[in-house]
Amino acid sequence: MWIKYIFITVLFYLLAILQNSFFAHFNLFGATPNLVFIFFLLIVFFEKQRLNYIIIFYASIAGLLLDIFSSGHIGVSMVLLIMIGLLIKKIHSLLSEKNEKYSFIYFFTLFLFSFIIYKLSLGIYFYFSNDQNNLINFDWKIVFDMIYNLFFASIIFGVYKKFFAGRLDNRQLSLFNK
Amino acid sequence: MHQTKNIFGNKKNLFFLKFLIGAVSLLLFLGVINLFNSQIKNNFYSVSYPIEQNFWFAGQSTSAFFRSVFNSGNLMKETENLKNENQKLLSQITFLQSIRNANEAQSDVSVACQNREFEFIMAGVIGLDNQDKFTINKGSDDGIKEGMPVINQQNALFGKITEVYKNFSKIMLISNKDSVINVKILQNQNNDSISEIYGVLKGNGGFEAYLDLVPVDDTIKEGEILITSALEGTFPKDLLIGKISLVDKNDQSPHQQAQVKLFLNIETDNLFVISNYKK
Repeated sequence: MWIKYIFITVLFYLLAILQNSFFAHFNLFGATPNLVFIFFLLIVFFEKQRLNYIIIFYASIAGLLLDIFSSGHIGVSMVLLIMIGLLIKKIHSLLSEKNEKYSFIYFFTLFLFSFIIYKLSLGIYFYFSNDQNNLINFDWKIVFDMIYNLFFASIIFGVYKKFFAGRLDNRQLSLFNK
Repeated sequence: MHQTKNIFGNKKNLFFLKFLIGAVSLLLFLGVINLFNSQIKNNFYSVSYPIEQNFWFAGQSTSAFFRSVFNSGNLMKETENLKNENQKLLSQITFLQSIRNANEAQSDVSVACQNREFEFIMAGVIGLDNQDKFTINKGSDDGIKEGMPVINQQNALFGKITEVYKNFSKIMLISNKDSVINVKILQNQNNDSISEIYGVLKGNGGFEAYLDLVPVDDTIKEGEILITSALEGTFPKDLLIGKISLVDKNDQSPHQQAQVKLFLNIETDNLFVISNYKK
């Protein structure tokens, strides 16, 4: 079972490096895909157990990596993702899980909601901490950033659902449950 | 009947207590971690450096491939434009050369001499975050300090060093929203004289910047070159910034603005940190 968490941690790490190096060349109007954030949301969305400590663990790893590869203090994204993760867990439990064909619509909505919360909270933090270097302007570029990330999120959602969603929780797979 | 209230038996209070302890522990932990912020980041970058560098180069090649595919139809037009621009620049160089020759006896330091006196630390770019900041593979061990200007081979200004770790540093690009630089616009009027108009370049994020605080009475045109004026002392003078792409003039405002196409380019491998620029 613990191998699953190591695998996810390594995956988060690789995604953080990819978004800061490879995908930096694919920025449009300054927007780059936030792969760590997208993957974190996917993990929380598809995580069947949804225990608080699991969400906190994922949020801590994802947030730590986001903070390390950006300027500013370590821990800001960590705290924000913990809050977002727990909020998603609460909202998701209220949604109907009987019909899986609506899962993309649920994810789409949760992603937009979480992205706005994340950017807004970061902007408020940088504003009140007087971190002029990292101020976020809430203009059309933020909307474009959201759409651009949603594009990548949709692709990764499809890949994740097809190849990983069942397998990472399948107790019959001994590889991830030792 | 006495009901003994046991605070710790109350489920709600227990949850609140756990939450409080957890939150305080987390904040303390984060506070301690931030004391070692630069060491943690430096160690992380050191471990990630080989992988990150390879991904950076892979990203460069891949994006170049896609750009060539999407721009193949515009190649001929772009070539023609470049030829025309080259000729225009050559004529300007000739004109400026004549001015420099005339003033050389009187000026203490010419632009070329000024640049030759600079010492440079060459650095490779390994990453870019979403706040218009490059990560480079040189740090305090290599002599990098905060505030040092950064240029490329063509003397185009990229920005300045804002964060320094042991082996890595971050450059805040001039397109960062916090960046404000005093600039001057080079104008060639009737080939008789060069006039200089001063303004302020403000970063707009997303590798974009705009020119501001240019008096509305001054005439600026698309295609004019912006260079550093060194008025604020952060950057040496006469470093290339960009060229005006669109003028926004409003007679009701005392100042005019303009969109600027910056010369800084994300597809760059090496940058040069000026290590001995004195303000």
